[in-house]
Amino acid sequence: METQVHELVGAVHDAAWQPWAVQYFFLIAMSVTALLMALPAFVFGKSTDLRAARLALMVAVTTGITAPIALLADLHQPFRFWEFFVYTHKSSWMAWGAWIVPSYVALMLLFAWAIHRPEFHRMGQDEWRFAWLFRLFSLGGAANGFARPLGVLAGIAALGILVYTGSEVMVVRARPLWNTPFLPLQFAATGVVGALGVMLILERMLCRDGALEATLNRRLALALALVATLGGTWFAVAISGLSPVHTEALASVAGFPVWQQIALWGAASVAIPFVLALTLPRNTGVLTGLIAIHAAWMFRWTVFMGGQAVPKVGSGLYDALMPTGLAGLMGVIGTFGLWVFLMIVYTTFVPWTDATPPAHTSDQAPRKSASPQEI
Amino acid sequence: MDTTRRGFLGAIGQVTIGAAASVAGAGQSASAEGTNVPHWGMVVDLRKCIGCQACTVACIMENAVPEDAFRTHVSVYELVKDGQDPAMVMLPRLCNHCDDPPCLPVCPVEATFKAENGEVLVDASKCVGCAYCVQACPYDARFINHETQVADKCTFCFHRTQAGLLPACVETCVGGARNFGDLNDPESEVSKMLRHNEVSVLRPEMHTNPNVYYIGLDDVLDGRVAGEAAYHPEMAASVQHHGEGL
Repeated sequence: METQVHELVGAVHDAAWQPWAVQYFFLIAMSVTALLMALPAFVFGKSTDLRAARLALMVAVTTGITAPIALLADLHQPFRFWEFFVYTHKSSWMAWGAWIVPSYVALMLLFAWAIHRPEFHRMGQDEWRFAWLFRLFSLGGAANGFARPLGVLAGIAALGILVYTGSEVMVVRARPLWNTPFLPLQFAATGVVGALGVMLILERMLCRDGALEATLNRRLALALALVATLGGTWFAVAISGLSPVHTEALASVAGFPVWQQIALWGAASVAIPFVLALTLPRNTGVLTGLIAIHAAWMFRWTVFMGGQAVPKVGSGLYDALMPTGLAGLMGVIGTFGLWVFLMIVYTTFVPWTDATPPAHTSDQAPRKSASPQEI
Repeated sequence: MDTTRRGFLGAIGQVTIGAAASVAGAGQSASAEGTNVPHWGMVVDLRKCIGCQACTVACIMENAVPEDAFRTHVSVYELVKDGQDPAMVMLPRLCNHCDDPPCLPVCPVEATFKAENGEVLVDASKCVGCAYCVQACPYDARFINHETQVADKCTFCFHRTQAGLLPACVETCVGGARNFGDLNDPESEVSKMLRHNEVSVLRPEMHTNPNVYYIGLDDVLDGRVAGEAAYHPEMAASVQHHGEGL
């Protein structure tokens, strides 16, 4: 029996998670994946990877500070954040996240500080205007053998972030688009894409080393291939009916032209930088980097804002996918502005070009600065 | 305010409007004198709903619901089956006060809880406004109250039932479509309605064990309604408050 339904009176529900949440998930994914990319060189001593690792650590620190601020801003009662630590509800992934996020940020910052400690100490010994500040930063010593265990702990916390952010969204059965086991993997893979995109842009702005650009582009192609594989598998599993939750997720959006356009746009955002990075790994860093950042950000925007635009009981779509108004826009601009500010501070005050793996000795002698060729 | 069960019985005599529906509460209270704690539930008889939205307005007035949100409202649909004449169908929506509420385990600070009589409530002094519960609710029954900045929802008018009164939406329902009472009491009006009618719940596939039941619910309306959406005017950036005499 065919039934046609026309909704005559229905309530509209605006998005409860606003663009601040998109920014948080975008920035924290880039931070943790960048940190994981920095560990092979700084913790396991893979010296050939050092230049990329310096950029990765820069991305991890700057986005890792910005992300929790965006998260706090998405709370409607931000001054009650302390309640997360007083009334931890063990069945809530968000409650676990409240402990994992500060642990990750603290360990990541301690690790970055430990990596740079010898240089902070050296700069504190020189005769110059801000020597006192660097003596303060170094806490009066250059030893950083503890950076390795700190790096390992930060890496574990980073994995914890990937697990909690993915699970927190995936467990929401009421939103079919979120309730798919692929989602945590997709968050992680697109996080790598976003982090490599930012690293490529930074490489072009700060290093301009063709070999490094080519290396990063090749890694980007690999990450994009992973994203495409996950996306393709998601679609195949959904359309074949092998997994009812994926089928439901696809069915919740498939009939809407705007979602078909989003799917095409998303596929192009993966395919274009993939082809460019693979065929022209040199001199395309800015373009592939920008498109990669766009792809990682757009994925989260589509999942969060698009997911909230799908009514749970009503008909059609809500306006959440493309919300209008200044508040949402300010959320996006504000967090990017903070990140740019932190980038300026980092590149100005942190001797990132001299960051090396920690020495095995208990105390490290002050070293000479790196030559431009080493950067 | 007398919040005892004896008070509830006494207060029933004071209720003059919606007296028929009060019988359900009286039955419940009688059972409460025994061993069972009342378990509140609602049975919505869609055959009697005329879509007047009196319940929507009563709820807003009773609970000071902001102008950009609803704790309850009546969705109205036009159904055309096999080319027959179109039929107007009403569907009152509210929190289903589920026995297995998905909004409860996700709350990171335990602000959402299940009260003794089955109501799903929010401790507003504890809520951090993270809106995780808003996402988890399969009925779109929760929202962030932009005046209090905490999660908000139907409470089955907890403050009224504690005083022996019916929820505002039930009391104001002119057609007697909304019926409220104790599901634990086999003699309550709602229990009898459940026994003598074929009832449905919204989104049964979610296995939330809702405590809001519907008589005469069409299958095409029990989940996400696949149909043409109503016209949604763009939300005003700032809510225009209506002032009396202005």
